[in-house]
This record gives sequence, structure tokens and C-alpha cells, in this order.
Amino acid sequence: MRPRVFDEAVLPHLDAAFNYARWLTRNDVEAEDVVQDACVRAMRFFSSLRGDDARAWLFTIVRNTWYSRVSRRASVAAGSPLKDGQDQWPDNALDPEERLLQQHTVAVVRAALEQLPVDFREVIVLREIEGLSYKEIAAVVGVPIGTVMSRLARARDRLQTILKLASPRETLR
Amino acid sequence: MSCELVERDLDAYLDRELDAESSTAVREHVTTCAACRRQLAEREALARLVRGAPYYSAPERLRARVLAQATRSQSVRRIFTLAAAAVLVLSVGAGMTLWRSASSRANAIADEVVSDHVRSLMANHLFDVQSTDLHTVKPWFLGKLDFSPPVIDLASIGFPLVGGRLDYIGGRPVAALVYQRQKHTINVFISPEGDDPSVRDLVLTVRGFNIRHWIHNGMSFWAVSDLNSAELSEFAKTLQAS
Repeated sequence: MRPRVFDEAVLPHLDAAFNYARWLTRNDVEAEDVVQDACVRAMRFFSSLRGDDARAWLFTIVRNTWYSRVSRRASVAAGSPLKDGQDQWPDNALDPEERLLQQHTVAVVRAALEQLPVDFREVIVLREIEGLSYKEIAAVVGVPIGTVMSRLARARDRLQTILKLASPRETLR
Repeated sequence: MSCELVERDLDAYLDRELDAESSTAVREHVTTCAACRRQLAEREALARLVRGAPYYSAPERLRARVLAQATRSQSVRRIFTLAAAAVLVLSVGAGMTLWRSASSRANAIADEVVSDHVRSLMANHLFDVQSTDLHTVKPWFLGKLDFSPPVIDLASIGFPLVGGRLDYIGGRPVAALVYQRQKHTINVFISPEGDDPSVRDLVLTVRGFNIRHWIHNGMSFWAVSDLNSAELSEFAKTLQAS
């Protein structure tokens, strides 16, 4: 059943839209701007909402809005989409002492998520925090389900390394 | 199943995206393979940690701005619609009959279920009785309803009961039970089964919310949440079997 009016479709998912935008941008002010722009677009393209999934539809618009802002600025290295070979991250983002102190706290998890490349970060947020299925994530991100799966697996491997949860895997390789 | 295959399927297994046969194969493999069992435990530990990450709710001023925008654009659209209708009436010179396709009764209820769910979250009126103890929640409904809703806690499978309240569906009072799955709230509306046989087991999505409806022991259940479809199905299935 398609929502009849715009605010019925969008307002219930505003928190989810903001949460997603906040993780994409890692910045409160920018997330607010992105969501507001996205809502203007959503209003304009309201007739493009065919099915029922207003939430996934809104995520897609938030994502597109953010990407078009990023490409306009074209200088946001940290926020740019993942390129091949761009697989390195600063292992020293937290010093070991600090890491020990704060281990497994919200601050550490947040820092770990924020240092992931955005393509990895968003699949983790959509899956673990927003609870989307692989199919829904594929639709929002605009990639095949197989890509969603490999990004999720790589993102999790990397988070485990950052959070020092992983044990050596040589035995399996 | 080999360790390589298990490793490949581990994430899909944890995300409940694996078919039943492969899930069973993974489950059986990890009972006998310590290395894969450890990997699974690590992934589970990671999932618990990540789900503890901050959830950023939209600031009030953003909500107010978006609402103002929506109201403005709708009044503009209404003026255009009225103008267009006036032109049409004038040019045809006759009255016209407008009708809207009547949505089925089930869709009407589903719509109301979603509205109640949204209202309970936005108005901060999720609970009349807030408790994870079903022996507190169940008696609370006594004397407030002319039926006794089944109150079941599913904390053991990760869906803790967190409270209940009175709500209204189709103009009649119903019991609303509130369950939690990580950041997601599930409302379950329970009332005695109506006599409309067209409204039976249903799987719906309305405005981005997943809905499950079923009849059990003479009671009608509507479960609604923004939780993903697979997990809501698991929840509904367990509740039906309880």
C-alpha cells in the first residue's frame, strides 16, 4: 500500500534517515543538511515511490543527495567512495593504552566504524543498526547482492582487526 | 561441509540470509570444528558490539522544518488540484462522480496498525505498563479489556517483552504488547478474532513497516515493526508456536 501523503511516508523514517546520513557524513551539521535536501527531493519525486518500502526509498534518496554533494566538492578524501587498492587504514588511530582503557565501549566502536571506508561503513550501518536485508541494502546502495555480501564480510573482518577481536586465521587459510 | 564453505557462508548464516539446508550444515559443522566455532563466536561478539554503536536521532528542529515543508507543498498542491477540478467542472458543464477504489478491510486495518505503531513511537506513548516481567504486564490488562491477551516473553530468543498499553484498532480497544529487538520496537496488537474470514494470515509492507497478521486460539494478532522481514517472521513464528 502506497502512502497517500508525503509526511506519512517520510516523517516516520526521519530518525532512520538522519542516522544513516550521520554515519555517511560523520558530522551532525552536514547530516542535517543532507536529510533536509533529501526531503525536498523526496517531495519532488514522491510519485516515484511505487512500492511500499518508503524507508528504503528514503535511504536511497539520502544516499544520492549525499553523493551529489560530495562529488560537487570533489575533495572529501575521507568520504569518497572506495577505490581499489585503497584498503589501508591508519592502524594507529587509537594508541594501545587508550584502546585498552576504552575497549569494547561505545566510543571505540564508533571510532572503529568511522575509520572504515564509507562503502564498508554504510553496509554495516544498514545491516546491523537499521536491520535491512541483503536485498534491501542492494537496492539502496545500487549494487548486486553478491557485492553487498562481500563488502559486509570485508567490513566485518576489518572491524574485528581494528577492535582486536579476531584471532589468527592462518589455520584456515 | 568444508571449513572454506562455512567461512564463505558464515555472515549469511548470522544474518539469517541462508537457506534452511545450508544453515543446518553450518550449525552442524561448528559443533565439530573448533576453529569455525571460534570464528562464529567472534562474529557474534562483533555484532553485539556494533549494535551498541550510537543511534543518531533526527534533531527536533529538522523534524519541524521537514513538516513545515510538507505542509507548504501540500497546500500548494491542493490549490492546483482545486483549480484543475474547477476548470474541468466548468468545461464539462456537468457534475462528475468521483470515487476511490475501496481498499479491502485488511488493508484498512493494516494501515491503522502502522499509524498506531508510528504514533506510539512519536508521541512517546509506548507504555501504559513498562515491565519486562510478564507477571506484571498480564494482570495489568485485567479489568481494562473484556478478554485476556496471551502475554509471552521471548527474551530467550532475543525479543524481550518491554511493556504493554491499551490501544484502539477499528474503534475497539485492543491489547498492545511491546517487544524490543536491538534498536527496533515491535508492537503486537491483540484482540478477539473478528468474524471476517477474509482477514487471515498476512504478510504485508506498509509505508516501509513490515507487518505480520495471524489468528491463533481465537485471537487476532497484528505484529508491526521496522525490523527486517526475516527477523519479524522469526518473531511471529515463535510467538505463534508459544
